[in-house]
Amino acid sequence: MTVRLSEGAIESLTKGVEVSNPVLQCVNIRKIDGGNGLSRFRLMMSDGLHTMSSFMLSTQLNPMAEQNQLASNCVCMLKRSVTNVLKDGRRVVVILDMEILKSADQMPGKIGDPTPYVEGQSKAQQSTAPAPTVRPLQSQNGSDGSMIRPPAQSFGKKPMSAPNTPGGSSKVVPIASLNPYQSKWTVRARVTNKNAIRTWSNSRGDGKLFSMELVDESGEIRATGFNNEVDKFYSLIEQGKVYYISKGTLKIANKQFSSLKNDYEMTLNGETSIIPCEDSHDVPMVQCEFVSIADLESREKDTIVDVIGVCKNTEDVMRIMTKNSREVSKRNIQLMDMSGRVIQLTMWGNDAETFDGSGQPIMAIKGARLSDFGGRSLSTLYSSTVMINPDIPEAYKLRGWYDKEGHAMDGQSMTELRGPGGGNTNWKTLAEVKNEHLGHGDKADYFSCIATIVYIRKENCLYQACPSKDCNKKVVDQQNGMYRCEKCDKEFPDFKHRLMLSANVADFGDNQWVTCFQESAETLLGQNSSYLGQLKDSNEAAFDEVFQLANFNTFVFRNRVKLETYNDESRIKVTVVDVKPVDHREYSKRLIINIRKMAAQ
Amino acid sequence: MSGVYESPKHRINTSMLSQYINRPVCFIGRLEKVHPSGKTLTLTDGEGKTASVELNDPLDEELSGIVEVIGMVSNKGTIMAVSHTQYREDKASFDMELYNESLKVLHDFPQYYPFEVSLSG
Repeated sequence: MTVRLSEGAIESLTKGVEVSNPVLQCVNIRKIDGGNGLSRFRLMMSDGLHTMSSFMLSTQLNPMAEQNQLASNCVCMLKRSVTNVLKDGRRVVVILDMEILKSADQMPGKIGDPTPYVEGQSKAQQSTAPAPTVRPLQSQNGSDGSMIRPPAQSFGKKPMSAPNTPGGSSKVVPIASLNPYQSKWTVRARVTNKNAIRTWSNSRGDGKLFSMELVDESGEIRATGFNNEVDKFYSLIEQGKVYYISKGTLKIANKQFSSLKNDYEMTLNGETSIIPCEDSHDVPMVQCEFVSIADLESREKDTIVDVIGVCKNTEDVMRIMTKNSREVSKRNIQLMDMSGRVIQLTMWGNDAETFDGSGQPIMAIKGARLSDFGGRSLSTLYSSTVMINPDIPEAYKLRGWYDKEGHAMDGQSMTELRGPGGGNTNWKTLAEVKNEHLGHGDKADYFSCIATIVYIRKENCLYQACPSKDCNKKVVDQQNGMYRCEKCDKEFPDFKHRLMLSANVADFGDNQWVTCFQESAETLLGQNSSYLGQLKDSNEAAFDEVFQLANFNTFVFRNRVKLETYNDESRIKVTVVDVKPVDHREYSKRLIINIRKMAAQ
Repeated sequence: MSGVYESPKHRINTSMLSQYINRPVCFIGRLEKVHPSGKTLTLTDGEGKTASVELNDPLDEELSGIVEVIGMVSNKGTIMAVSHTQYREDKASFDMELYNESLKVLHDFPQYYPFEVSLSG
């Protein structure tokens, strides 16, 4: 029943001396909420002589604390730990692995009468303690001398053979052992996904970045390089190759941008070195945990999943506008797997543009996001890896199945039929838009509706715009045959006509004034703006007729709605983002689905 | 028979024929074959079931694709047509399955598609 604590272990640990499996009692445990939702636990531990409160539990051990296995008074053995020196000289012991020897309820209370440990003032009782095995610090770590490298063997399926790094400075460690409390390490990893360079520009300046995903047999991690590191490494790195990487900065992973199974992510910095590794056959290829399409139904929305399927159907690539008016390409494809179920996958950007679905290839997607849009659908993320006909056993198995029997199956789709416009179509009737007070929030709302034009105001529908490309600013007539654009700070001998149309549209329940700009206005009127400009000056009757003919046509509108305030007067402003002819087949399907849904309620 | 034009006509598919005997109906189907006599048409509905249509006079024109027939259902369950129209499919094809789905909506929710009211009108 009695347990002996490793007296003196606190002192050793604090001094950065390695102690083999010290037995300590937990005196107190406290939860610290991290900024990004990841909480950590801080422990006060006692060795019977001293207590020390700067023990941190590494996050993979959080469940022990959360499930109350690790509680005050319990006795535990530290199997692996790292002592870290903070900038101000304080030492923090990070517990990487531990075992509970006696749970809290098996212990009567605190053992002995330990006092807080203060450096340089140890109780001279070491001789009576069952001297813990104390081993001097591994000297190869050099400089700060605070690091105890965890044995690499405890990770992965087989011991890492730890080939020497070309630099020879530090040993190769498994990716799973990387954490922010170590500074010297090298990993030997395969780049499974290398994303294109992205640039940003905001009030704090511009920059560029790229990210890649690294895999070894212990795990995976995302690495991101900024500016200088983009120049230095981007062209060096080849997807699929293996590299020695050392000295990156590690920080808590932002799960919003990464789907990898690692609590940390790596940022390449000025000290980082990346060296190609030739002998790479033993480093695994992409690690995927494929989920059957049928099982996606029970998964939660926004889960990141790996999926493999046959590309049964490929839709054409579409250009769409994002909310921050960036134009992107997207393409929907239908994937089917051996569960016989089909799901829609949306690919974006370059993946969407270059995709070739001919021959119904096998598609493996690592890190796709599951959405509940239209039932269940998948979408690739910036961080997703899309592999076409990958060289993996699952792909061959699936191909065999599909060629033999799968191709004849109809395949029940997890994704419902949906209207045109793609994206997340928020269908509303005009009455609903008013009753639900759309646009009254801080952000603008978007909705789609089917509506009929009942009136278009032809007064002031055309304006004289700057003729330079991509500038549509209104020009000022200088009355001397020249037109001045304030934005371009230039004068031009001509201008182009652009449309800004006020239209009243109606559905069965209500009507609404909407504003249409160039492209949508041209669609509504069925004429281009320069022709209308000519007509206005030359043939007013024909000009009027264009507006007459536009009445009572029905379109699918995608609108932005926002409450705007001018001179203390607030009113709802609806702007047409996109307008399309009604696809009656899609519309009917949607109506039938809605009727059936309402009837079922 | 001329009364068919004036009275409201239920839209039905093949499986509903037996419930509409001696009543005027509107039937849309894909033309499968024309009897050599030119007086009998075979149409398939959106469920793939066939229906026979009897014409008063032999066909004097080419007929193909989607055909709408208005007529009275006979005791045998055939449609005694008073008129027929071929649908144009040059711009968009007619989706028989979808039409069938909407037919079912009409019949499943008669309270929202009041039919008999127009009789008094």
